[in-house]
Amino acid sequence: MKKRIAAITLALSLSVCAVATLSDAPLAGAATAPQASAPAASLPAATVALPPVAATAIAPAKAADASPAKVRPNRGITIGMFALIIAVTMGVVVWAAKKTQTASDFYTAGGGITGFQNGWAIAGDYMSAASFLGMSGLISLYGIDGFMYAVGPMFSFIAILLVIAEPCRNAGKYTLGDILSFRSAPKTVRAVAALSTVTVSIFYLIAQMVGAGKLMQMLLDIPYRVSVIGVGALMVAYVVFGGMKATTWVQIIKASLLMTATTVLCILVAAKSGFNPVTFFTDIVNSSAIQEHVRLNVLKDAVAKDGVNYGQRFLEPGLFLKNPLDQISLGFAWALGAAGLPHILMRFFTVPSAKEARKSIIIALFLNASFFFMISIIGFGAALYLTPQGIAAVDKGGNMATLLLAQFMGGGAGSLGGDIFLAFICAVAFATILAVVSGLVLAASAAIAHDVYVNIIKDGKADQQLQVKVARITSLLVGTAAIAMGLAAEKENVVALVALAFAVAASGNFPVIILSLFWKKFNTAGIVSGLVVGTVTALSLVMVSPVMTYPKKVAADAKKIVETLEQKQASGVALADMELKALEKSKAEYAKNKEGTSMVGLDKPIFPLKNPGIVSVPIGFLAAVIGCLLFRDRRAEDMFAEIDVRQNTGIGIAKASDH
Amino acid sequence: MAEKHLDWEKIANNSKFLELKSRKRNFLFSWWIVSTIYYLLLPIISGYFPGIFRVQVIGPINFGYLFILSQFVVAIGVAAYYAHVANKDFDRLTKQLLEVLN
Repeated sequence: MKKRIAAITLALSLSVCAVATLSDAPLAGAATAPQASAPAASLPAATVALPPVAATAIAPAKAADASPAKVRPNRGITIGMFALIIAVTMGVVVWAAKKTQTASDFYTAGGGITGFQNGWAIAGDYMSAASFLGMSGLISLYGIDGFMYAVGPMFSFIAILLVIAEPCRNAGKYTLGDILSFRSAPKTVRAVAALSTVTVSIFYLIAQMVGAGKLMQMLLDIPYRVSVIGVGALMVAYVVFGGMKATTWVQIIKASLLMTATTVLCILVAAKSGFNPVTFFTDIVNSSAIQEHVRLNVLKDAVAKDGVNYGQRFLEPGLFLKNPLDQISLGFAWALGAAGLPHILMRFFTVPSAKEARKSIIIALFLNASFFFMISIIGFGAALYLTPQGIAAVDKGGNMATLLLAQFMGGGAGSLGGDIFLAFICAVAFATILAVVSGLVLAASAAIAHDVYVNIIKDGKADQQLQVKVARITSLLVGTAAIAMGLAAEKENVVALVALAFAVAASGNFPVIILSLFWKKFNTAGIVSGLVVGTVTALSLVMVSPVMTYPKKVAADAKKIVETLEQKQASGVALADMELKALEKSKAEYAKNKEGTSMVGLDKPIFPLKNPGIVSVPIGFLAAVIGCLLFRDRRAEDMFAEIDVRQNTGIGIAKASDH
Repeated sequence: MAEKHLDWEKIANNSKFLELKSRKRNFLFSWWIVSTIYYLLLPIISGYFPGIFRVQVIGPINFGYLFILSQFVVAIGVAAYYAHVANKDFDRLTKQLLEVLN
């Protein structure tokens, strides 16, 4: 059986090499398994003959040259760097696979990771490509609002540090279910906890997969399908063979690459202003491009208003974040949500003691804070040196800002320095994606294999060999499912998925973890009602919130464009080619969407906030407390002494589920 | 496994344990609440009192920018302070408790 898994995974990994080397062979056979279930099979990927990259050829990017505003990484150098990352990480996997013998090895690297290593790995698990590329883009387009946005993910480590990390390390073993099932009916609680873990991880995973697919598509000019399958196959290989040990080291490698890239870019930007923040911000305020961007593109003032300093406005709030209540609600999700993310929780079980857990989260917090601070400098630098207009021309959302800045700092497009630096940043983004998705797959499979299979189906009676085998099969299945869902979700709105993951983690998981650890009366009924009500509330509020796609609104926007352009046409002005195309596209969009409703059949959102946290977190807590008080459980109260002693002192550590 | 036979109730009522527990709880929950409130001040001030954020402090650098920067400083500061207290007090108390038990 192990051999069979090995064979399947090997086939998947080989397909990655096929993708990585971009041979011009048809890619149809490259990834067989995941495609079978993918509804996106009609995509043209298999028929696209990619330009061959011979060993020596540094092939110029092909046909895409037509549009001038595009990041064009040098393919040869970029692929070389990607191949290097794949080679190094695969080496790690081979090494880790030899050391993965028991379930504890697979889920927690045998508890043998040091606090320092784990700190880097947590940072690697948490800093995503969305932050690396998206956050700096947001800052380059909207100024200080983007910077404000970056505080949330940075601050979310405080709750983990103070109330989650050490107690969980002391009381837990492999999964969320282990912590929660301590003094409750284990099977029920494990089932619910596993369901919630899988829900959160899958939402997050799909969002990452879609993001990865689009990013690789843009960077390497390869089809979406190929990039999703390539990233997915690598992720499956890391987890299935190397388990937690390989995942940890992939995350550490990624975090060091990311910190290096960010630090170098940040120093280059700062050096241009002589390391003087006042000069730097004065230049930004006085940049005529930024002033024009704020006036025309953001505030839509056709004529400059008297007394408004549009440059200074870039450093004032309100350009991007409009609804204060929504920001507070998002704040809740950040402050509590990260502490309920199963793949972050799981990282604390890889260190031997609470002291090491503390050390790791402090290191992660420091790395994370430095990272987001440097990202802000990069974002402002991109606005100053590349202009917001230039960045928006390449990608409307600003996602290419970091890449463009790297190219610029390296010597500009086409120069060797620019090519190398840009390729390096692309490779870092690639490593980032791989590290994050691997952690998610591991967390989801641990919940299924350890909680559902071993502890519910097998009553905890499974030998080590069987446990590892089941864990490997589950990882393979979860990974394959993630690839299929990533392919199916190409056109979906992934922002909603991330919002969902954090909302469920904050409103479902967080309340029950806290109450299990600190409240004597807490019991099975409380855990189940808290998890179920918190999760359902968060899910349903997001479903009816403005983050979903509302076809009628899309249609109305398209209609507006059609009307404007037709008016222009009617007044005798000939439309430019681009405008004609836009007219065509908007007409089609209007026809397609005018009768549509959102996923739950709505014309417009019912719940006004994009983030449900401010409502769903209190409801989650309330449901947990009420459920618990309605069904009092003497046994759970009597057993509180044990969990209290364990979580505070670490006595009996990692034997938590032997009770 | 030896842990199974531990009398948890007895440890839970040990005076050393009670001291450790109450000191930990007081410290952790108060710092957690204080820092979370400080963090939530960010969306509150920028959303409802944007005027405060616009006050220019040094050249074009305004209060808003400095306030956001202060969030980073506070986060790292709280973490460093906690590490200091935990290494000095909590670990020492835990060790003392373990010595009493053995």
